[in-house]
Amino acid sequence: MTIKSLPALVLLLPGGLLAGEISVFRAYVDSDLCARLMLGPITASRIECSQSTVKEGSEPVLVHLRNNLVLAVNKQKMIRPLAGQLAEVSGEIKANSGTVKLTSANAITAESIPQGDAARRLLDVRTYKTDKSAQLHEKIRHELAMMPYISEFDFISFTQSGPDVILTGWTVRSTNRSTAYNVVKEIEGVETVINNIEVLPLGSFDMQIRAAARAALQRQLSRYFWGNGSDIKIIVKNGQIILLGSVATKSDSDVAFIQCNSVSGAFKVFNLLRVQSSQNKSA
Amino acid sequence: MWNKKKGMLRLAAVLMTLFSCSRPASQQSVRRMPAGQEFSGYLSTYANLKANPEFDSTVSYVSQDPVKNIHKYVAVIVEPPVVYIATDTDEKALPDRGRTALAEYFQHAITDAVEDAFPIVQTSGPLVLRLRSAIVGVDVGQAVPADQKDEKSLERPINIGKVGVEMEFVDSEQGQQIAAAVDRQSLGEGVMVGSANFSHEEKFRAATQAFDGWAKRLREFLDAAHQLSPDDVARAEKTNFPYAPQPTPK
Repeated sequence: MTIKSLPALVLLLPGGLLAGEISVFRAYVDSDLCARLMLGPITASRIECSQSTVKEGSEPVLVHLRNNLVLAVNKQKMIRPLAGQLAEVSGEIKANSGTVKLTSANAITAESIPQGDAARRLLDVRTYKTDKSAQLHEKIRHELAMMPYISEFDFISFTQSGPDVILTGWTVRSTNRSTAYNVVKEIEGVETVINNIEVLPLGSFDMQIRAAARAALQRQLSRYFWGNGSDIKIIVKNGQIILLGSVATKSDSDVAFIQCNSVSGAFKVFNLLRVQSSQNKSA
Repeated sequence: MWNKKKGMLRLAAVLMTLFSCSRPASQQSVRRMPAGQEFSGYLSTYANLKANPEFDSTVSYVSQDPVKNIHKYVAVIVEPPVVYIATDTDEKALPDRGRTALAEYFQHAITDAVEDAFPIVQTSGPLVLRLRSAIVGVDVGQAVPADQKDEKSLERPINIGKVGVEMEFVDSEQGQQIAAAVDRQSLGEGVMVGSANFSHEEKFRAATQAFDGWAKRLREFLDAAHQLSPDDVARAEKTNFPYAPQPTPK
């Protein structure tokens, strides 16, 4: 990574960056939605997700190729046309807030990244295939499933590359962000944890949408709501609803989409529900 | 169109942030513990309370209603706590500023204890609880000697040796009780507060520790009430898979 020297503060950020300095780095231009869901290898399905969701209104973000850190940008217009592509970006990174103040962004190809560069390793799907990872993956999944404050309005997920774990998702409670980090960090075999879980604002507008969406889905699809949890996750951010989780049939997925579209105040519904029957067929 | 809507949302968010400070405890009229009664009468109902084996000297209730239970809420409004003086306490010996100091410190402590699990909001709504609390049985001690007084000193120190707390979470819109606890654990035994400057004086550390202790027990009570059942964990594990590709052996 190149760091051009500019007037700087003296705070040292994780990764050796100086706060206030312009850095030049390689990134994948993703949508906020796909970045939180599918962090990891850049596959065809992820590229399709990035491009379609940016087109539908999800905010474009940058994913730092060196460490998979998700960065919101100040000038979305600059990167919106690059959704689903790699880019060389310059800007001032604020790692604590997960933002970057952009000065430029230009598309690049994967071939332009030197062999042996950490960025290239993270791009490679084979990085995510190791003999011991399946067990570790299961252990991480188990620990995250046991967190007590997860509701229908939280989705905590992760991507694993060997001993390195990237936490992703959205939560309405800050305790879930820190708890997820702490429980995963304690798991034997995990070496580093990047925390990309976003804590959602609790404005009354979004709260009304959450309640109305849950009520509508519970009325029509009650079998997916059980005990103290649910198979359908309802993520609400600035009037957008993101439907996640699993349902049994395509028609249930369609019903969920229609119900959420009828929620007063919801601008947009992203239906990313997985249909179990089609998953079983493809398996 | 999209940007305009987003701009309006951002404005709304900024306004929400400006008004998001916790409501301070205000001066209160004197409330007195009723003679011969076990409870102050502040909670909406005491009918559901039962001894809680996990917490000494505590009776509690957690709603098991499938629609209205603690798992169905994501935020809380913290009401300013109220202070009930002991039945036989002379109310003139306990000025407003003393009671207000107690209530403000307790509000601060319980807010700190719950806010990362139940974020604090100011507006009632369908996913919002209201936390109501009372400090019960506050008394006064002997007069503070003149040579130990400063401008913030009370005439007589506040005695919290026999204080307990009563708390409940209610639905912020309909008022239905969702969880409640009456905690009689004597955390303030032997503790006197001699100044209205409650949170800043070293010598009153024991008093703040007592209030922090009750707040901590509130959080432990919440955490216990919020634990997932084994069935819930099993189902969450069965259905909750990451969207990212999962590792496969080489």
